[in-house]
Amino acid sequence: MKDKLEALLEEALSELAQASTEEGLQELRVKYLGKKGALTGVMKGLGALSPEERPLVGQVVNTVKAKLEDALDARATAVRETAKAARLAGEKIDVTLPGRRQAMGSKHPITLVTEEICSIFGALGFAVAEGPEIELDFYNFEALNLPKDHPARDMQDTFYFGESVLLRTHTSPVQIRTMLKQPPPVRIIAPGTVYRCDSDATHSPMFHQVEGLMVDKGITFGDLKGILTLFISQLFGKDIGVRLRPSFFPFTEPSAEVDIACVICRGKGCRVCKETGWLEILGAGMVDPEVYRHVGYDSEQYTGFAFGMGIERIAMLKYGIADMRLLFENDLRFLKQF
Amino acid sequence: MIVTYNWIKEFVDCDLPAAELSHLLTMLGLEVERMEEVGGGMDDVVVAQVVEKNQHPNADKLSLCKVDNGSQIVNVVCGAQNFKAGDKVALAQIGATLPGDFKIKRSKIRGEESCGMLCSEKELALSAESSGIMILPESYTLGTPLFDALGTKDVIFEIGLTPNRADCLSVVGIAREVAAKLGKKVHYPGLEVKEEGAPVASVASVEILAPELCPRYTARHITGCTLADSPAWLANRLMAAGIRSINNIVDVTNYVLLEYGHPLHAFDYKLLSGGKIVVAAAGEGEKFTTLDGQERTLASNDLTIRDGAKAVALAGIMGGGNSEIGEGTTEVLLESAYFNPSAIRKTSKRLGIHTESSHRFERGADVAGLTRALDRAAQLIAELSGGKVAKGIIDVYPAPVAPRVITARLSRINAVSGLDLSAAEVQDIFERLEFEVQQGEPGVFTVKVPLFRVDIEREVDLVEEVVRVNGFEKVPATLPQASVFSDLPSDTQRLASRVKGLLVSHGLSEVINYSFVAPSSCEKIMLPADDFRSNGMVLLNPISDELSVMRTTMLPGLLDTAVKNVSFRTLNLGIFEMRRIYLPVEGAELPEEPLYISALLTGRRDPEGWNQAKGDIDFFDVKGIAENLLAELNVGGVNFSVEELDPYYHPGKACRILSGKKVLGSMGELHPTVQENYGISTPLYYLELNFEALLSARKKQGAAQVPSRFPSTFRDIAMLLPRELPVADVVSCVNGVKAPELEGVEIFDLYMGGNIAAHEKSVAIRVRYGSKEKTLTDEEVTRLHTKVTEALQKKLNVSFR
Repeated sequence: MKDKLEALLEEALSELAQASTEEGLQELRVKYLGKKGALTGVMKGLGALSPEERPLVGQVVNTVKAKLEDALDARATAVRETAKAARLAGEKIDVTLPGRRQAMGSKHPITLVTEEICSIFGALGFAVAEGPEIELDFYNFEALNLPKDHPARDMQDTFYFGESVLLRTHTSPVQIRTMLKQPPPVRIIAPGTVYRCDSDATHSPMFHQVEGLMVDKGITFGDLKGILTLFISQLFGKDIGVRLRPSFFPFTEPSAEVDIACVICRGKGCRVCKETGWLEILGAGMVDPEVYRHVGYDSEQYTGFAFGMGIERIAMLKYGIADMRLLFENDLRFLKQF
Repeated sequence: MIVTYNWIKEFVDCDLPAAELSHLLTMLGLEVERMEEVGGGMDDVVVAQVVEKNQHPNADKLSLCKVDNGSQIVNVVCGAQNFKAGDKVALAQIGATLPGDFKIKRSKIRGEESCGMLCSEKELALSAESSGIMILPESYTLGTPLFDALGTKDVIFEIGLTPNRADCLSVVGIAREVAAKLGKKVHYPGLEVKEEGAPVASVASVEILAPELCPRYTARHITGCTLADSPAWLANRLMAAGIRSINNIVDVTNYVLLEYGHPLHAFDYKLLSGGKIVVAAAGEGEKFTTLDGQERTLASNDLTIRDGAKAVALAGIMGGGNSEIGEGTTEVLLESAYFNPSAIRKTSKRLGIHTESSHRFERGADVAGLTRALDRAAQLIAELSGGKVAKGIIDVYPAPVAPRVITARLSRINAVSGLDLSAAEVQDIFERLEFEVQQGEPGVFTVKVPLFRVDIEREVDLVEEVVRVNGFEKVPATLPQASVFSDLPSDTQRLASRVKGLLVSHGLSEVINYSFVAPSSCEKIMLPADDFRSNGMVLLNPISDELSVMRTTMLPGLLDTAVKNVSFRTLNLGIFEMRRIYLPVEGAELPEEPLYISALLTGRRDPEGWNQAKGDIDFFDVKGIAENLLAELNVGGVNFSVEELDPYYHPGKACRILSGKKVLGSMGELHPTVQENYGISTPLYYLELNFEALLSARKKQGAAQVPSRFPSTFRDIAMLLPRELPVADVVSCVNGVKAPELEGVEIFDLYMGGNIAAHEKSVAIRVRYGSKEKTLTDEEVTRLHTKVTEALQKKLNVSFR
């Protein structure tokens, strides 16, 4: 009896090893453990055994049944795993295909640079101020110490609407409007659109500037140098060389042009820096007393500095753009890079 | 302003190499924009001697020479005939590069080897024309680079002068700056005019009728001049400065102009009627032919130099053809005068004549130093033309100008600059600049400024001089000790940046169009001529007609950009521009400049791709962008109206956007006619919003709502409506049911056509109910829902499906 049972177990296990589907396993379960199954048949025959034999054989039957059930469960798990693995293998996709995307736009490089400049100066406590683009001669020239017939007006080719109404040639009139509105101290930055009648690879009739103004007690030319050096290191990196050299603007005295070491050749001399190793990026200086006179500030009590920079120039350096006209052609193939 | 290295060194002892001198000038504020070596890179052109000159065996017109270059004898084939054995010549050796990037290589000419080239002056860019090769003086040493031997090796500096530095429009002026920086003295050339003629007063007279326009006029008379070409040194200097050599008299006036910066004019004395000079305003409408042959019409505020009968020069700008130095000139009247800068500027600007002379006078010449220029020129003309200078000068100077005296405080100099200079250091700088410092109380300088420094008028100008000459590099970089501010930055910039970011995330790219547009642009977008936008501000001096009117709407610029991109085959387009428009205001000088958010879309909604949806953009894409934008800015009371649409919209697919009754902007599909006018084949969708109007319609951010902890219940309603009835009415009808448990309503289906009658549409909505206190029971929801369906039936008369 015992041998018969073990032979049955062996037969069942070998059939089990052949089964590769859940259905097949179910059939085996029925065949051996079902109501009419082989093992059930053996158990039915227990009654015919002697009372001494019955518990011994019963034990063997239980062991065989338990072994068979475990084997069935283990096999079922293995078959399920194999089937899942086969299904997953069949579901394989080509992950190199592009993803499903929403259209993404881009900010204009001029906006990106303007926002960066404003955020650097914002962190230094400069508030953003604005003024009109169509300006009066007074704010654009007179109050900035550029009287009519002054040769310095030749530096800026002006678009006119009439005798005294023009397109501002720089963002400096915002200085005047701000100082006329509020007493010192003043600490502003004024980004904006400006215009000059000039058009070629390095000039656009419309371009952008950021103006800065700081007026308070005890502000020095050294402070101007400090603020601009800090700003340039934020914008172009810590080790970029900076130099101030004397220049002339009617609304500042002393006046300086601010150069940075050429970002292309790192000061060695190249076509971009015209072999000088330096790139001019800013005009600056101490606010001229004549400007204070126009806005009613006391130049004995207050000193301050102003600076202005062309955003296109900085964008061109940052992004390696050689021709300024690209910035205003609005070709999306160009703009989408930013 | 162009100067050369050697020329500067004539006036100041300076042993700096050219590159260092260039840096020194730049750091003084005299920016060297170009530096060019004359004869530089041509050291392979050397002095050589022809040892043998033989006929070339295979060519009649060539000779075969043996030439000694100082170290060896080489064969050279030459085509010129103007030399003989023993002559010293300029030999361009193998490896030399001549002007015009002409490289000298070893070559065979008609079978004979040639190791170099014998050069003409033209080939070396030493003259414009030449016949035959250059024959050099016997004294030149063999093997010496030619330009060293000629002594013409030099460096040209082109200086970009700022308009305030009239004093540096001369070699002397620049030398003065170099001397100040190096702490040296300028050597002014000794002036000795040999006066051999009659007293000048006996031959000429000067009268100033407009002393406010001409405060000083001086003249000399030179007789017995012989007109000739200028010597090479003079012609070369002028050439380096970009001035054409004319003759030995005119060239001297130009040379002295470059040297001293003072413009002079030479008249042919015999052509001056009565030997007389009268400085007077022109007659209104007077015709005058300047020496460039142009007839000019003068105005009564133009200053002229006249003789007894007629105008002979446009004062300070250009002489007249009627008194020009030319063939036959033997007697010269030389003018050195000072003219009012703004008068010169006005005339020069009005007539469009800009000359070396007007350039200097309008920036301010040296009223005191003009006799020095007069003497220098008279001396040189006498030397070069063999003329005799009359005794004395005519000097009409009714009200001599005194130099300015300015006080400067040491404390102020240090306070403005951030430097810590001593009184002695400051005084030294002033003196190096040839400023006279008078002793005053300690720490206060009384400075007498020479008249050539027209730019120094105030204490602050002296501060600048001190900082400049001391060196900007010596100013310490410090950070200001600033007061704390009470007014914080407005959030306009921050919100503008947020709007741009939102549009970018909706797939739109930012563009920047010029603020000026073509006059036809409004007509092209169907705006009638009497629309306020058809009357933008017009530029008096535009770049071109296409860029002559300030835009009054963002649309034309975006359309032009769309056309350009479509032509590059960018067919799916989403662009935006956030810039100003310019609206004239009746009675005001300046227009309004509202900031507009504008966007234009066309083509497909999603990017092209193997797995991307293929739908095209329609009205609701634009509306979705607008709604997100309004929500982002928290704009309150938003509603849409189809009344008073702009003509550029499709009349059935556009609306205005309002907050309450305030118009914020509009959006919609563009009118097919606009589309045709721009030649774009796909429908275009446009959005415009006035940013400032949006900002003023923002709601305050309310307190945050705590969501209910109990689940909501949804009930759907399908209904038939008249097709004309806006679905918004359904939504507002549902929202009109006042019940705190009504949480929201959504439209989830819209259907027309098929089995729906032509005048009707089927709309399905989903209403959400919920409570903060509990989960609503089925009965409670049904009671609420019945209220909603009743309201719909009663107010809108809808039928449920």
